[in-house]
Amino acid sequence: MKKLLFLFVAILFVVAGCSSSDDTNSDNPGTDTFNRKALLENIADNIAIPAYKSFKEEMANLKTATSEFVTTADESNLVKLRTAWLDAYVSWQSVSMFEIGKAEEISFRNFMNVYPVTTTEIEKNITDGGYDLNSVSKQDEQGFGALDYLLNGLADSDTGIVAFYSSDVNATKYKTYLSDVVERMDTLTTQVVNDWTGDYRDSFVNNSGSSATSSLDKLVNDFLFHYEKHLRAGKIGIPAGVFSNTTFNEKVEAFYKKDASKALFNANLTALQDFFNGKHFGSTTTGESLKTYLDFLNTIKEEEDLSTLINNQFNLARTEASNLADDFSAEVRTNNNLMLDAYKELQKNVVFLKVDMLSALSIRVDFVDADGD
Amino acid sequence: MKINNLFKITCLSAGLVLVSCSDDDDTPGVQIDEPTNYVFERDGKSSVSYGGQTTRIAMAEEIIDAFKNSEKTEAILDNMFAHQEGANDFTGTGLNESSKSVRSKTAASKDYFSVNVGEASAIKEEFDTWIAGQANEVFPNWNTEATAGVAGFIQEAGGGSTRYVNAKGLEYNQAFAKSLIGALMADQALNNYLGKSVLDDANNVEDNNNGVVAEGKNYTTMEHKWDEAYGYLFGAAPDGAKPLASIGSGSNQKGDDSFLSKYLDRVNDDSDFTGIADDIYQAFKLGRAAIVAKEYTVRDEQAAIIREKISQVIAVRAVYYLQQGKNALDATTVDHATAFHDLSEGYGFIYSLQFTRKPNSDAPYLTRTQVQGLIGQLMGGTNGLWDVTPATLQAISEAIANEFNFTVAQAGS
Repeated sequence: MKKLLFLFVAILFVVAGCSSSDDTNSDNPGTDTFNRKALLENIADNIAIPAYKSFKEEMANLKTATSEFVTTADESNLVKLRTAWLDAYVSWQSVSMFEIGKAEEISFRNFMNVYPVTTTEIEKNITDGGYDLNSVSKQDEQGFGALDYLLNGLADSDTGIVAFYSSDVNATKYKTYLSDVVERMDTLTTQVVNDWTGDYRDSFVNNSGSSATSSLDKLVNDFLFHYEKHLRAGKIGIPAGVFSNTTFNEKVEAFYKKDASKALFNANLTALQDFFNGKHFGSTTTGESLKTYLDFLNTIKEEEDLSTLINNQFNLARTEASNLADDFSAEVRTNNNLMLDAYKELQKNVVFLKVDMLSALSIRVDFVDADGD
Repeated sequence: MKINNLFKITCLSAGLVLVSCSDDDDTPGVQIDEPTNYVFERDGKSSVSYGGQTTRIAMAEEIIDAFKNSEKTEAILDNMFAHQEGANDFTGTGLNESSKSVRSKTAASKDYFSVNVGEASAIKEEFDTWIAGQANEVFPNWNTEATAGVAGFIQEAGGGSTRYVNAKGLEYNQAFAKSLIGALMADQALNNYLGKSVLDDANNVEDNNNGVVAEGKNYTTMEHKWDEAYGYLFGAAPDGAKPLASIGSGSNQKGDDSFLSKYLDRVNDDSDFTGIADDIYQAFKLGRAAIVAKEYTVRDEQAAIIREKISQVIAVRAVYYLQQGKNALDATTVDHATAFHDLSEGYGFIYSLQFTRKPNSDAPYLTRTQVQGLIGQLMGGTNGLWDVTPATLQAISEAIANEFNFTVAQAGS
């Protein structure tokens, strides 16, 4: 036995020896002189803060349109409100990955965009009143998903929907709930934006080390988590039944609007790829980014730049998804294989991003897949 | 990736060397014929049998489902737990006709409870108490939102699952299910069927040496006892000969794991413990082959490996859920439902620690008294889990990890 133990230990040493001589220098933080602070500055000043400011304006428009509709509940104001809702919803796709700082603290994403919503609970809130939208138990009764139901899902026609806010016996209560949901979204948005434009920007940029709590390590984890859970799974995989034995066409984003799920998906996919490339919000200029960081480290996989592989894979996913109908719910019902094809392309980038990129950047994954039971 | 594979191959080869050497050194001339899969035959027919374990696992699954049906009464749940042959308690094929029951084998191992009957009945009564609590505290409040001191439902963040908790935030169904992993599956396997007092009972050794099969069966009694231990782990697998066929990340989605095997799968998915499932499977297989070869020393060595590693699975899971609960409570926006769900699972795994087995000893890694102390810390506040602090969860985690060869950090992610 002892001899064997020795043999085993000896083999271990051989393995350890192999690994240290084989590895590239990217695993050694001592040789990584990349300027992380410049990267964080580019993210804060040219991506996150401008995107948030733009989103805040869309939220202000949504609030105005809501107030006009509540004052005069007619079809013309409903159409305007719906447009403002969709504009804000698209704009949201550019900020939803930044679940860091105040957003993380207040659980921003879960209060803004959980879907599917539970319509029976929404109806109960409206009828009974006395709801507390601050409760985490009520996250599936508010946000963009709840507005989707309130603006698109109450009836089949605009006339029918307007009736809920005008002639219905509970019309006042419907108006109150609609206003409360929008007001809360606006309040939370203001909190997050004020934090970024206040003290948080500097503390974010100055926390430029490489540890589990440094800004880049945390943000890269947020980016990956968002890619995996909210883009790949939430928008495509879950409705397509990848994680279950059946499909769930009713679990798509903006289910009641019917023709917006693809636009929301594309906006989010583009925002994530732009973030990877350090592309300034609303501009074609690029700055320091995960891409330039990988290029600096000269990370090669299969004889190709890892950053090129990742960008190619983003593009493949976009191309595959271009075959999908505007209404993902209809796509799931009629030709789910196209959804599964899009999912496969999205999944391939999980490997490049989560395994290869993280290993090159020496960043540890800080989230685990939920249990599921 | 490459390094990992190399490492695996190295381990595997080292394992092969180990096996062949031990054959050569210990018992010259005797060959243990170890099959690739858990397949053993006599006269061309299978000699493996663990139907009773498969039955009890299926019964336990139905009991757990019934915990989530507020139409059920305490009496209905009690009857399911202490099933009587012929009673109409279950829906699964053949379960009602079975003479087996879950309760009779709860805290019922020969090594731990044949003398300690007082403790055995105290444990059975704790399971009864959880049933009573679900029926009388939680079911009546099925449509009441839970708050500190009030039983009811509570929904996870992000439109997540709805959980049903008692006034102290504990999910009785989780406490019951995860405690059963220790009190039924682990206790029966580790402290009953893998013990010498069962394997070598009566004429078992003599019969096994002479190939005398049990009356009307195709196995010797010793072979069967070993298989029954195997059945408490793998009895619900679609292919019992190859129960690890779908092990690995995401395999639970196929739903072919149950109770103990489900969490073996989960622990195996953690890169700090990868390979533990195969270690246990190989030990079961070699031990069974050793019985066929009448090599009882090798058999007992495998039993020691199984005892150690299954105990570790339970402990890793206890610490994992405590850490998940701690993370949830540490967040600024606390998701109580998620935290309580994790901690209720943790409660059950802590409870299960009293049924673990240190190899080459007659004792668990943590005694019943120690377990009661830890559960006291977890639930001790006026409102139980509503009051527990992250610091307390860390302290409990460390107290458990200290008794094992892993760290809180390794188990916690």
